[in-house]
Parts: sequence; C-alpha cells; structure tokens
Amino acid sequence: MDMNEIKEIFFQECEEQLAELESGLLKLNDGDRDPETVNAVFRAVHSIKGGAGAFGLDDLVAFAHVFETTLDCVRSNKLEPNQDVLKVMLKSADVLADLVTCSRDGGSVEESRTKTLVKELEALANGEMPSAAAEAPKPAAKAAPAAAAAPAPTDDSGFQPIPFTFDGFGGDEEAVLGNVFDISFKPTRELYSKGNEAALLLRDLSRLGEMSIACDMDTLPAFESMDPEASYFGWKISLKTAKSEDEVRAVFEFAEWDCELDVKPAEASEDEEQPMVPVPFDLSALDDGPAEPAAPAPAVVAAAETASNVTKAVAAAVEKKESAAAAAAAAAQNNAAAAAASAGQTIRVDLDRVDRLINLVGELVINQAMLSQSVIENDATGTSAVNMGLEELQQLTREIQDSVMAIRAQPVKPVFQRMSRIVREVADMVGKQIRLVTEGENTEVDKTVIDKIAEPLTHMIRNAVDHGIESPEKREAAGKDPEGTIKLSAKHRSGRILIELQDDGGGINRERVKQKAIDNDLIAPDANLTDEEIDNLIFAPGFSTADQISDISGRGVGMDVVKRSIQALGGRISISSKPGQGSIFTMSLPLTLAVLDGMVVTVAGQTLVVPLTAIVETLQPEASAIHSFGATQRLISIRNSFCPLVDVGRILNFRSTQANPVEGVALLVESEGGGQRALMVDAIQGQRQVVIKSLEANYTHVPGIAAATILGDGRVALILDVDAVVAASRGQSLKPEMSLAATG
Amino acid sequence: MAAKKAASGTVALAPVLDLNEASALHGKLMTMRGSDIVIDASAVERVGVQCAQVLVAGAAAWQADKKSFMIEKASDAFEKTMQLIGIDPDKMVAKEI
Repeated sequence: MDMNEIKEIFFQECEEQLAELESGLLKLNDGDRDPETVNAVFRAVHSIKGGAGAFGLDDLVAFAHVFETTLDCVRSNKLEPNQDVLKVMLKSADVLADLVTCSRDGGSVEESRTKTLVKELEALANGEMPSAAAEAPKPAAKAAPAAAAAPAPTDDSGFQPIPFTFDGFGGDEEAVLGNVFDISFKPTRELYSKGNEAALLLRDLSRLGEMSIACDMDTLPAFESMDPEASYFGWKISLKTAKSEDEVRAVFEFAEWDCELDVKPAEASEDEEQPMVPVPFDLSALDDGPAEPAAPAPAVVAAAETASNVTKAVAAAVEKKESAAAAAAAAAQNNAAAAAASAGQTIRVDLDRVDRLINLVGELVINQAMLSQSVIENDATGTSAVNMGLEELQQLTREIQDSVMAIRAQPVKPVFQRMSRIVREVADMVGKQIRLVTEGENTEVDKTVIDKIAEPLTHMIRNAVDHGIESPEKREAAGKDPEGTIKLSAKHRSGRILIELQDDGGGINRERVKQKAIDNDLIAPDANLTDEEIDNLIFAPGFSTADQISDISGRGVGMDVVKRSIQALGGRISISSKPGQGSIFTMSLPLTLAVLDGMVVTVAGQTLVVPLTAIVETLQPEASAIHSFGATQRLISIRNSFCPLVDVGRILNFRSTQANPVEGVALLVESEGGGQRALMVDAIQGQRQVVIKSLEANYTHVPGIAAATILGDGRVALILDVDAVVAASRGQSLKPEMSLAATG
Repeated sequence: MAAKKAASGTVALAPVLDLNEASALHGKLMTMRGSDIVIDASAVERVGVQCAQVLVAGAAAWQADKKSFMIEKASDAFEKTMQLIGIDPDKMVAKEI
C-alpha cells in the first residue's frame, strides 16, 4: 500500500469524522447534553487532527487544534454549548470540512474565514473559562494571537495549552488498564519491503498500555546463510491496556496482510506458563514520528510512522499536550467502546466490485427467467421436478438480488447533513433565521440515487431558504415565529423512497407565478389553470419568480433542472402549497436503479414493460364506459369520474389509428402531478421483475421510453416512461424522432 | 549509508539501521568473520528489526567461532529499541522483558 492510498483512506475517514462531527453538533444544538455526544464531537476533530499531522497538513492541524481546544472546554463543562457557541462550532465544522477538501483536491480556504473563526473559537475558550487560563502552564490569552496570526503549527507558541485536568491518568494507570491481551505477531518479508517496520508497530503497541514481550528467534538461520532482508523474528506479547481488541488490532491495520497476527484476551493459565514481568518503556528516545500515543485513529498512526514527510516540529509541538489529551480521550472512549463496537463492523469495498456483482446478478436473473421460460414451454403441467427446482431457484435468485442491492443501499443521512450546512450558509447570507429539521435520515436507498439527489436537493433547499421562508420581520407581522422551519424527511413507501421538503413560509404566490408565466410566454394570458397547475408552473423551463436575481437562487434555471434531474432518476416531483402556510415538495424516487417490478404488456405487437409502481389498477373497459371528448380525445368513466384514455400504441406511433378500447386493457396510472390517466394497451402478459438496461448507455435516449430490459425469451423489451407518455397525452407531443419501431 | 570500518576489528553502526542497511551490515560483518569484533553503536538513532536480526545472527556465529562479538557505547535509541523488540543488547539473545 503506497502513501497515496494511505492518504486516500485518511480522507475517507475524514469524511466519516466530519459527518460524525456535524451530526453531534446538531444534536447539541437540539439540546442533547449527553457527554458521549460531546466526546464523539471531540474525537472526530481530534482524529482529523491526528491524521492530518501524519501527512503534514499544517493548516488543517492548526485549525483542528484550536477547534479541539474549544471543544474540550465544552467537554470539561467549562463552556456551555448554547446556541451562540454552537453557531461558531457549526461554522468551524464547515471550515474544517473545507480545509479537508482543500487538502485533498488542492486550493485554499479563504484565510479571513479561518482567521475569524480561530479568533471566535479562542474567544469562546478564553472568555468562558478564566480559571482554566490561570491553571494552564502558559496564559491562553498570550498564545491566542500567535495562533491567529500563524495558523501553521510550526511554532510551539501557536498552540494553546489544552486545559484538561488529568486526574486519574498517568500516575494511576492501573485503574484504567482493564484488559489483558495475548498477542502473537510474526511479520512476513513483505511487511518490511512495503516500508513498514515491526519495531515501530511494537512501539505503537507498547503505547497502548503495559507490554511484556518475548522475541521468538527460532527461525533465524545461520549467519552466513541468512537473507538480511528476510523476516525471521516473531513475538509473543502480553499487553495490559484500557483499549478494546479492535483498537489493539488497529495498530496493525496497515500491516495485517503482511504478518501473522493473533490477538486474544489472555487466559489466566497462560500467565502461569509464560510468566512475564512488565517493564514500562521509556520511549522518549525512540520518538521520531508524530507523537500520537493512543490516538483515537490508530489507522493513521501506522501511516504516520512510515511517512517521511511528517514535520518534527508538529510532533514536538503537539506531543506533550497530545499524549495527555489522548489519554483523556481514551478514558472517554473506554465507556463508549462497547457502544462503538456494537455499531457493527464494516469493510471498505471498491464500488466497481459491487457494481460488477450487481451486473452479474442481473444477468443471473435474466438467465434464470430464460431457463424458467424454456422449462415451462416443455412442461405444460408445471409439476416436473425441474420445474419445482426452478421455482426454488427463482426465489433464491430474488433473495440474492435483494441482498446484493442492500450492499449498495446507504442511508440518506450524509446528504441530509450536507443540507444543514446549506441552510446555515444561505440563511446567514439572506439574513433569515431558519432551522432545518430532518426526519428519517436512516432511510436507505441505492448509492447512485443518493449521489444524484444531492444536487437537486441543494437547489430546492436554497430556493426554500431564499424564496420559501419569509424575512423575520414579515414572519412576525404575519404572527409567525421569526425563526422559519424547513423540514426534510425521507421514508419508504410502496417500494420507493419519498423525500419531502416542507417549509413554513408564505407558500406559492399564485398570482405572481401566473403573471410571470404569462410574461414569459409560458401560458396564454386567458389560460384557466387550477391551483395545482399554477404551482407546477415553477417547474417550467426558464421560469423564475425572483424579481431580483440573487446569488443564491433565481437565475431562472432552477426548478426545471431539478425536475429533470429527478425524472432522470426515474423519480417524480410534485408540489403542494398553502398560501401563508408554506409549501411541500415531494420527491418519489426508486430505491434502486438496477431492477424494476414491471407489468409486461403487448402494444401493437410489441412487448413493453410498465413500471408497477406507476400502476394504480388495471381494468377491462366496457363500451358504455368510453366517451368521446372533442375530435380525438376519449375518456373512460371509472366509478363515476372521468379519466382521459391514452392509447400507448398511438402515442408511441406504433400504429397510425387509435385502437378500439374495448378490445384492450386499461392501466390506470398516476402521473407526477397526481392526476390519473388510463393507458390503453392490447393485452397484459404478466408481471415480473426486470433488470434495467440503460438505453442511453447502449443506444440513445428515446422519448417516451425510460430504459430497456431483456426478457426471459432473450428478446429486448422497452420500459415505458409513464410520465412522459402522460405528458404527451396532455398535448405536449413527443418529439418526431420518437416514432420508433420497438425492438422485438 | 553503509556500516563503515572505524578501526581494525571495529564496526561503527550507521545512525539509521533500516532495511537498506541490513544487507550492507551483513556484508560488512561477513568480511570480518573469524576475528574478534567490536560493534560501535554510539551513533545509532533508529534500529529496524532486520538489522537486529543480522546482529543477533552475527553474535551467534561469532560465539560458535569462539570469537568475541561486543557491542560498545550503545546509544539510548539502540538499547531501547532492542529492549522493545525483546533482545538483550549485551548478550544479543532473546530476552523476555
């Protein structure tokens, strides 16, 4: 593993830590005062700092250090995390995230932003705890300006003393050294050839507690026949530590494939067989790397030891305070260890591998369907053993597919967390007070969907803050809380994920929207539109109600882009608004973009698949229920209400004249606006799960068609884009090139 | 930097005894086989396990030859690392500590 890979892992971990940090701060903001929440926040910043130190990311280390110092005041109850304090901390979390991004992708964070926050953080740390300054070895006030002026931690004076009390640590380690592990460690030649050093790993291990060690030299050959670069030594170690087994193993994280390693809790009898006298090491002479003893992110410690670019200055500056800070963190972690362990073990897997697996399973599903079909054709009764076996195979295939899909499923939490930053920043910019409430953030959905909803969601949030919520003055005048609320929620509903964005603002000003639409030639001046239709105008291309184009939104390329992005994901978006009370945007998205439950239908001799989620019901129209409306329109009467009838074959230009509705089947579908349409097809073949194959990737986009699939008989069937067909039936005809002969 | 001969029968260890140094040290000691040897460890700042392996194997070989193999003026870093990896630097044998 080279340095870049290690660094990449560090950045991945940073992302996790930043998410942890933000979620912790938001919890504190909501009044959570659980010490573990504060500890988690502190640990996140501390880990980022530790890793950044290993890679010589000085700006990041410097800022993280100041942030960590202030957080520690909260942790030691010297600073009450009230709204004002948290506002600074949330901003600092944003800057920290930016610093991480800049460290990874290049670029720099505006110095003024960093400096301002460093000052604010230091003011918080100083102002609120005068007693701490007195206790500290150096006056914090003296250190503060130096840190503000020189963020790079090359100068010891750039760091504030960390005002902890360490009672119970150092002199009284026995109290916290609860676990004893027997460790057997035998490196391979590769461990050394990759630049790792067993001595450094042993040193890190010794820092976790009291260590006794026995070197096994049995395999060392005679001097003349030895290979100087081979690995002969192995070790039996007994470690008494406050750390968990996982934390002990983490020391070997970067070497685990290049050594034989066994870590197990010690058994009493073994102690008798192998008496070991613990000798506490004085390791000060060995410190050549960054001092991160018992760091909460041991993963980066190993990296640190092999990293040649670590500045000794950083190590020297951080070391003393750090070791103490880490010890305190360790104690706090000890309590949390159980909770953290139960959070579940995870492995990092390259996304390409997962996608390959998903593709293969897709092929398996198709193959299984083809096999089933040929067996059914040869076994009319369906009672043969092969047929029964196939049914089991079908079930198994389905289960495998679900499980594989679950690998790609991720909670929407990271996206939601990103939104809270956007709300903060935009609200600050426009001088509004807005609270973001999130719900159902653990709802899981395919990673592709998560990656792609972030952008439209960001736009909608910006819109909600800029246009949706009124200014505090207007809100007060309307008798509302001056602080607006935006609620972002996610939930599963009938095989789809439903994301709702609700604001308690003024709602859509329909008069203004309509006027704007008329001004922009989107509708005729005398058009008679329902409220819902007016609301939906905001999704029209080129529509913007903002009289003044702002930095935030109102460039006129807003909601139509949002709508297109959502539609590209196979999703729908709708809006409902109440004047004076706010608006709700509802996005309904598929849980996965790889498979689909569909109804296989025949239209003009072609086989099409209609997504099952769009279908409300199917019915066989009677002649008496069909009514003509105008020259070409037909309506079907369903339970005393009329619904437009759409001949799919005609819309897609499969045939030149409309089919007789009585001879076909009507699929009642719900369109994005909530309105219903009856889609006429010739016959229903059945219902099955189909694997989605992108038409765009394999051919080109075809209007009215969402994607394609391969059926059990090996033929390609097109998957109908219900919303596009419904839209076409409203008069927005599909483009001429959509006249196509369906592949058969 | 390879171990260099400071005087007849004396080998001064390089400050950094890493992977690269192991072969050089092994080669150096091979040329001195059969004579008493003094290892000067005063300049050592860092010791890797592979160099420790060479030294331990060397000590055993010299002992078998009934020649003396002495470590002199061991630096703090040398002693502590040897202690850390479980080797008695005075005797160059495994030591349970």
